Amino acid sequence: MKIIAVTACPTGIAHTYMAAARLEKIAKNFGHEIKVETQGAMGIENKLTESDIRQAQIAIFAVDIEVEGRERFNGLKVVQVPLQEALRNPEGIFRKLQV
Amino acid sequence: MSPELSSTSLQLAFVCPLSAGMHARPASQLAGVANNFVSEWALTNLRNRREANAKSVLSIISADIRHGDRCLVQVSGADEQPAHTALRRFVEEVLPSCDVPLAVSSPQTRNSMPRVLQAAGMNCYFGSSASPGIAHGKVVVVSAISLPKGLTAEIATDPEQELKRIKLAIAAVRERIGQKLTRSSSPLAEAVLRADLAMANDVLLAEKFAEQVSKGKSAGYAVVETGKFFINLLRQSESEYVRERAADVEEISVQLLDEMYGADLETTVLPLQEPSIVVAETLGPQQLLALDRHWLRAIVLEYSGSSSHALILARSHAIPAVVGVKNARLMFSPGQEVVVDGTRGVVVPQFSAAVQRFYEREQRTLQRQKERLADDPSSPAITRDGNTLEVAANASSAEELALAFENGAEGIGLFRTEMSFLERDRPPSEEEQFATYSQAVRLCAGRPIIIRTLDLGGDKAAPYLNLPSEENPFLGYRGARIYADHRELLQTQLQAIIRASAHGRIQIMAPMISSLEEVLQFKDEVAKAKRHLQIQNTPFQSDIPIGIMVEVPSAAFILDQLCSEVDFFSIGTNDLAQYFLAVDRGNARVAGLSNVLHPGFLRLLKRIVDEIHAAGKWVGMCGEMASEMRYLPLILGLGLDEISLPAVKIPELKHAVSQLSTADCKSLLTQIIACREKPEIDRLLASAQASPSAQPLLSEELIVMDSDSRNKEEAMQELVDSFYIAGRTQDRHQLEEALWAREAVYSTGLGFGFATPHCKTTAVTANSIGILRSRLPIDWGSVDSSPVRMIVLIVMREPQTDNGHMQVFSKLARKLMNEEFREHLLAIEDSRNMMRYLGEELDISVSCVGF
Repeated sequence: MKIIAVTACPTGIAHTYMAAARLEKIAKNFGHEIKVETQGAMGIENKLTESDIRQAQIAIFAVDIEVEGRERFNGLKVVQVPLQEALRNPEGIFRKLQV
Repeated sequence: MSPELSSTSLQLAFVCPLSAGMHARPASQLAGVANNFVSEWALTNLRNRREANAKSVLSIISADIRHGDRCLVQVSGADEQPAHTALRRFVEEVLPSCDVPLAVSSPQTRNSMPRVLQAAGMNCYFGSSASPGIAHGKVVVVSAISLPKGLTAEIATDPEQELKRIKLAIAAVRERIGQKLTRSSSPLAEAVLRADLAMANDVLLAEKFAEQVSKGKSAGYAVVETGKFFINLLRQSESEYVRERAADVEEISVQLLDEMYGADLETTVLPLQEPSIVVAETLGPQQLLALDRHWLRAIVLEYSGSSSHALILARSHAIPAVVGVKNARLMFSPGQEVVVDGTRGVVVPQFSAAVQRFYEREQRTLQRQKERLADDPSSPAITRDGNTLEVAANASSAEELALAFENGAEGIGLFRTEMSFLERDRPPSEEEQFATYSQAVRLCAGRPIIIRTLDLGGDKAAPYLNLPSEENPFLGYRGARIYADHRELLQTQLQAIIRASAHGRIQIMAPMISSLEEVLQFKDEVAKAKRHLQIQNTPFQSDIPIGIMVEVPSAAFILDQLCSEVDFFSIGTNDLAQYFLAVDRGNARVAGLSNVLHPGFLRLLKRIVDEIHAAGKWVGMCGEMASEMRYLPLILGLGLDEISLPAVKIPELKHAVSQLSTADCKSLLTQIIACREKPEIDRLLASAQASPSAQPLLSEELIVMDSDSRNKEEAMQELVDSFYIAGRTQDRHQLEEALWAREAVYSTGLGFGFATPHCKTTAVTANSIGILRSRLPIDWGSVDSSPVRMIVLIVMREPQTDNGHMQVFSKLARKLMNEEFREHLLAIEDSRNMMRYLGEELDISVSCVGF
């Protein structure tokens, strides 16, 4: 499956990146292709392009704050979880996607 | 009398409705009612079975009646029927209206304490910080109740006569309070006066006096002993309100003694015999100097100003001090062990193991921070852009000079001479002064010393000068203003100073100059002293520089005239701010307005420095402002030639100078002077601290490898302390709170035994990574509920300046998700290898040495 994801936490120093690393790793274990955009203290990094979004089947938002540029994802199926979920139980998120 | 039913008494039970308990006001009203009747009024507190005579305020208060306590009053005697009716009316109609709001320390104050102490449920008394540092010792109370000289053991020959003396004194005190009452316009003051009046009328107090006198004691002794007896009794009460009533007893005792002995009363000087915490209402500089410094550990004062001379002395001797502790003398018992936290402005009695542990760690932290700064004290203070600031010490006695030079003072920027003139019957002789000044000059060993001539008056009086007591001494007869009337005194001092100049580099400075005439007269006196010495063929340095303090605003506006007359200037910021901003620095209600960050005040300072420099003269600063690290960017921005501060602060200051750039500070000052509002000033000032590039992300001192922290609070504190020791934060509280604010969103425990607390804050000098590996498992509220062993702290400095660092942080965060990386961090044996490993993994340069 082609998945895109956005991570964002209130301070944008640590958890945004930890969640991104976690999602990338677990997605691979599940055999998915994933690209994670981080919205942290450095602003948006690894930005999801229009074509990334067009090609993706689903988007995961692991966020504690509002996603910047949310309108980019209009029309795409989105699973939104608190960021902590990506640390606590990332497998659970991906399992949910498969059903 | 027992509370049981008696056939010959009428009784009434009631429940105390007052949230503050039966405090002085309701007690004095009840006693007032009771005293209208001849019947006996027996009051029993059924909770603690304490019995009281309801005709005595003291007796009622001593029954310790608290909110909700059941009480019983029995009246018996000839007029018991009307007495009972009056009692019922009092209980039903008057008592409920006597309530006052309970005084509780504001949560804001409590929240300003470190989390470790908050978690330990520390019980403490809040004041404000007047001199930093931690001390532990036994309480010694400077009592206001004291006997006249020589009366201590007086035995009276005629008890009748002594009792009469007391009765006359009581009548006079009552009369005085009564007069004040008729003039009083505020209900609060009136209530206080009424409580005092009731105390003066108290039957129990009168009984005790009579008892003492009948034993053959003198009237004075009876008052002192009775006062102490009741103060001790009230002090033991569990209600803070009742304990505070001890203040009323003290007040009445002092007034009675004053009435009986007047001006003969002696101020007590205490002999100290063990590590002592001196608790007093207020302390004069002479009283402070009289204390044995070998045993004096800390000072706790009820009075709340923080720039009194006694406190300046305390700071220069590194004696911790907390001021503004309400009723401190009554809250602490003599001999009680307490911890004084001069840094946070609290006094801690009855400390738990956790609190004790905190203070032991705190003491280690302060010690390590001090050692670290003192690495090379003698190196000059040079800014990052290569400008040197001369750093000197303030001193009041020759004994302090060794400490000053140990701390790296490059000279003495202010040598106060008042101290040897105080607490004596006549001024010191020329020889005595010469001995002091020449000893000081020799100790300076070629370094310059600015000796300030006598600055008496204000809060420093000497009896032989017969200075009248003034309504407003700070605007009165003080400093150079007394010289015209005391020429001989000044001549003696000038001759002693000028003679001492043969031994080193002396400069003479005059205090409190407000006009050109004062300068000209002062210079005439110096010339006269020199002529006198010349005639005697006494050697001295002929070109001694003459300078003045700039502390009266009027002087700042005639600098062109002054510059043509004197060689140098030193800005005294305490008085200058006080006079310029119209704020009495000892008045707690307005002290907050004495803000040296007032743009008007900063403009004044800039004007002073610029004008003096334009005339090619030298200008330093010796006031308190110079010793506040957070003002340092402004001081550098002003372009002063020198600053002079308490010796113990010098190492910290020199380090701070090395982190700043003069060019940045100058533009900062320009910006701040133009600011309209305080938050903007605070923000600009915070952003001006050390430049981030000066410190690497990670240094060895930020790594704690074998921590014995027992819980989250202690671990967090230990990390914050390591930042403090490393000179990366001056505001541990702000840093700690920023970290806890992040924890409040959700725990940063990320599972696997790791936690990554982090924050963005202005409280640090640089972006930083801290590491703490603990011996004990610590509960962090992690996502997987497992305890934490490894804590990786990430602190980002605001305002942000270096995006490169943010990339390192995100790399670190990502790596922490990698099992191999985590295992490695857990396995590394020492901090050096931890540094090396992290340096390689994160691709950053690291620092193994300090700054």
